[in-house]
Amino acid sequence: MSLAVRLQGISKRFGAVRALESVDLDLEAGTLHALVGENGAGKTTLMRVLYGAIQPDAGSIEVEGRARRFRNSREAIEAGIGMVSQHYSILPQLTCLQNLMLGAEPGAWIGERASVARAEELAARMGFRFDWHADASTLSPAGAQKLEILKLLWRRARILILDEPTAMLSPADSDALFESLAQLRRDGATVILVTHRLPEVMDHAERVTVLRAGRRVASMPVAETDARGLAELIVGHALERASAEPPGNLGEELLCVRGLVVAGYRGDDAVRGADLAVRAGEIVGIAGVDGSGQRELFQAVLGVARAKGGAVRLFGEDASKWPPSRRLEAGLRLIPEDRHEEGVIDEWPLLENAALGLQRVPPLRRGGGLDSSVQREVAEKAARAFDTKHGGLRLPMASLSGGNQQRFVAGRALQLGPRLLLAFQPARGLDIEATRRVYEAIRGLCRSGGAAALVVSFDLDELLEHCDRLVAMRSGRIFEPPPERAKDRAEIGRLMVGAA
Amino acid sequence: MTDSMLWVLLVGTITLASPLILAAMGGYVSERGGIVNIALEGKMLAACAATSLVGFATGSVVWSLAAGIASATVLAWSHWLLTQKFRVDAVVSGMALNALAFGATNFFDKRFTDPTHIGDMPRLPLGVYQALAFALPLLLAYGVRRTRAGVRLMASGSDPDKARQMGVEPVAVRFWAQTVTGALCGLAGAMIVTNAGRFVDNMTAGRGFIALAALILGGWRPVQVGLACLFFGFAEALQLVLQGTDLMGARIPSEAWSSLPYLATIVALAGFAGKSRAPAGLGKV
Amino acid sequence: MRLRVALVSVVALLLVVGALVLSGVPPMEALAELARGAFGSKSAWAGTLRETTPLLLAGLAVFLALRAGLFNIGVEGQLVVGAMASVAVCLAVPGVAGVVLGTLAGVAAGALWALPAGLIKAYRNGHEVITTIMLNGVANFLSTALVAGPLKDPSQQSPTTRLLDASTRLPDVYAAPPFRVNLGLVVGLLLIAATAWWLRRTVAGFELRATGANLRAAEFAGVPVRRVMLWSMVASGAIGGLAGAVQALAYEGRFYAGFSPGYGFDSLGVAILAGASPFGLLPSALAFGALAKGSTSIQILGVPKGLSYVILGLLIVVFAVVRYRREGARD
Repeated sequence: MSLAVRLQGISKRFGAVRALESVDLDLEAGTLHALVGENGAGKTTLMRVLYGAIQPDAGSIEVEGRARRFRNSREAIEAGIGMVSQHYSILPQLTCLQNLMLGAEPGAWIGERASVARAEELAARMGFRFDWHADASTLSPAGAQKLEILKLLWRRARILILDEPTAMLSPADSDALFESLAQLRRDGATVILVTHRLPEVMDHAERVTVLRAGRRVASMPVAETDARGLAELIVGHALERASAEPPGNLGEELLCVRGLVVAGYRGDDAVRGADLAVRAGEIVGIAGVDGSGQRELFQAVLGVARAKGGAVRLFGEDASKWPPSRRLEAGLRLIPEDRHEEGVIDEWPLLENAALGLQRVPPLRRGGGLDSSVQREVAEKAARAFDTKHGGLRLPMASLSGGNQQRFVAGRALQLGPRLLLAFQPARGLDIEATRRVYEAIRGLCRSGGAAALVVSFDLDELLEHCDRLVAMRSGRIFEPPPERAKDRAEIGRLMVGAA
Repeated sequence: MTDSMLWVLLVGTITLASPLILAAMGGYVSERGGIVNIALEGKMLAACAATSLVGFATGSVVWSLAAGIASATVLAWSHWLLTQKFRVDAVVSGMALNALAFGATNFFDKRFTDPTHIGDMPRLPLGVYQALAFALPLLLAYGVRRTRAGVRLMASGSDPDKARQMGVEPVAVRFWAQTVTGALCGLAGAMIVTNAGRFVDNMTAGRGFIALAALILGGWRPVQVGLACLFFGFAEALQLVLQGTDLMGARIPSEAWSSLPYLATIVALAGFAGKSRAPAGLGKV
Repeated sequence: MRLRVALVSVVALLLVVGALVLSGVPPMEALAELARGAFGSKSAWAGTLRETTPLLLAGLAVFLALRAGLFNIGVEGQLVVGAMASVAVCLAVPGVAGVVLGTLAGVAAGALWALPAGLIKAYRNGHEVITTIMLNGVANFLSTALVAGPLKDPSQQSPTTRLLDASTRLPDVYAAPPFRVNLGLVVGLLLIAATAWWLRRTVAGFELRATGANLRAAEFAGVPVRRVMLWSMVASGAIGGLAGAVQALAYEGRFYAGFSPGYGFDSLGVAILAGASPFGLLPSALAFGALAKGSTSIQILGVPKGLSYVILGLLIVVFAVVRYRREGARD
């Protein structure tokens, strides 16, 4: 069997982070090879190396027997490699045909008739149909997916990398996709499927490679393994870690989400009927791979995203119609996913950033104005909470390092009587010690302060160590493990990837 | 309304609409590529002055036209430089360039125009401009679909990041787009001054903004934008023809007609319930 | 990057110097004449302050909107309708009562004129630059029509209202002729101080600044961004209307076609050059006022008035470029 691609000893570091450590990958021509692993395991990084988007620090690439060095994606494309990334690059205001050929047009003149003919031929081979002159914004996610694949074929790709292709597809569309992939293989192409969905791997892939923490932990024919085995390899063995002291008696329900439906940015629903309850005194962790709807869930609880269906109850009342300001005033707090976009204003001084999100909460708000002494106090406490290193409260947020910014944002969330804390990757950019302290503070707040916390993280270990209770989120729904396996790592892992 | 009035109305419409169409097509190319352009006015005005001054000085049609196009293009290139390389907000850049054009044209006019120089400014027949104005919307509508340059222009204005992923460099595409914008605004300005005979301070009188209004009213589609320009030209021509005459007993002030393009645009913007048709990547680098 | 900025500044300077040379005026002499025309005597100062007053208020209007992330290009129109409304009221109601009512009318008119732009921006996401420019056009034609028709002074040939009598004016707070300081200027100064305080110390001011600084972060902080945008536009328009009322009732005493010599352009420049604090509007407006006053002197020397617009445009460019350099290349 000839090898379409051989990667050997690929290593890559981003600053202090080791994204890939000496990873090998053999791709046999004409096969569908699955690449699996958690968030941060290195799957996308490895594929971007193959696609020429990033250069490895060490290792070699062989494509169809020839040694290669790709300085950019264009060289990879010329070598016959194509990638469909998770976030489609379909341009909304262009037609399907224009999207198809952008960057690889036949010449100064498009030659519409000839181009359409060629497009039709490629599409027919895959069993696709397109209205070539229709606006590409009318395409469904499945349609956009198909067009992305055709883009690769237009550029004569023989090795196709698909990153999470079925993330937002319905089961029927997913089946259709795999049909097309089978056809492609019959035509001689090789496909790499980067995915979390183990059922798909078991049903369609011939070989599977598992990455964990930047290393290759296993590679075998799919026939030699099963979903449970894979899940265990992905998630790894439980480390000896002290688990937090469980809460005593839980108080009243602070958050109740019922049947929540929230739209996603690609047109279909990111949250598809989620149920969740959080009671005073507990820390609940949401495990799941990125893109399962956690983001949208948080935004709906905060009130920034509109709920298409279902209800959100906060502190015992129906909060579905409450604007975000009212929720914040009632005691909701957020440690956001992306500080720069959602949490801070980089140009503003720390003193002012301290009031962001709290500007309507008494006693910071006094009448129509901001109480300057309270503001100063809040800023100082927020900085002190986790030892934020800063040069003075009047200096801009941008003068702080990333880790210190995170500490400040986390500290801010604990100010002025929080009752429900939403934390999205609260430990992002923090070392182990700082992480421990943040969770300790959160726990203190919940145990003695009568508050509760809901944490989203892509690090399962972190959640297992610090949260009282875990649920899994997948495809917009929430899954609870059975009580006897409430904190069983393997069980949660299976729920996350759909292998239970 | 008499036959001769109808004829005057028709001719007037075409003559008044043509520079609008030329400028609006210039704005179209700029905005389709992703750069907001509120300086059509300044470019046209600069072209008016340059065409007039060089025309009187050299007596040559070619040189005067070249000067007009060049002056507008230099402004357009400045806009590109400021917005793409210096990341200045396109609105700020546009307003600054408008001010510059306004001041510079006044300056050069007062300084270099010889008031004793009677004579004709060398000019192209108006018909040339008019023909071009009518052909352009069709040409652009075709070109944007059928040529590689057109597709890349659309891509740069729709989503510059994704365009980059596909191997297109929006900043370079926009440079060429601005060049076209400059040329078209230059032609528009040349036509206005050709029609008037000589340069007069602030002779564009807001036509650049009306062209912008047409661009929005027409939903950034060349043929519809051209029609909007025709409509505005018609309104202005009607106002000129009807000036002073009673319409159904009441005298409608000329200003009502002049306000029409502006009011229409406001209504159009208020009426877009939901998706705007503006290029999605307007303003993004 | 620093090199590029320096380059732009040098080019700008060369252009201005070149223009002056072309006019046959040695640059240093022109500068001296400009300074003399603006600050050289008591009457010069009075004239400069007179030019500065509307720029101060109009600049504040633009500034406020800018802080909310909005471009209010419509100050031109808001000023015109504000002036017209205030004069119209004062024509009917003379004396102090008239001045008070007229000023309020001007403020209301300006606010009303900005309202459509605010609504369209907040709820239809229609770019406020376009709507305000369009509203300028309508204001221009509306005022021309009214002042040539119903508001016109029958005893005059040109389209202008009757001149308001001496008691129906905004009074001077200090007059040592030829030097005078009008109440309008004081109002402007007070308003700037009030705005500075309001932006820093109130919740509403905080939320306005947050909206302009980072819309999404503001949303996540519970700021009702759409409402903030709407009210910012309206407030900005109100101040623009006030600028018009002050200009009419303090200095002009009447309303006429062509009332605004292009305050729209100027106020944008004033606001941009003011920088981050409202107090920056003081030196900025004064600079533009001095330029306006001084340029009339230079015109006598033979330099066309267009030069001041060239300088305005170049100033905006240089300032905008410098700001970019300071904030660095943000992706």
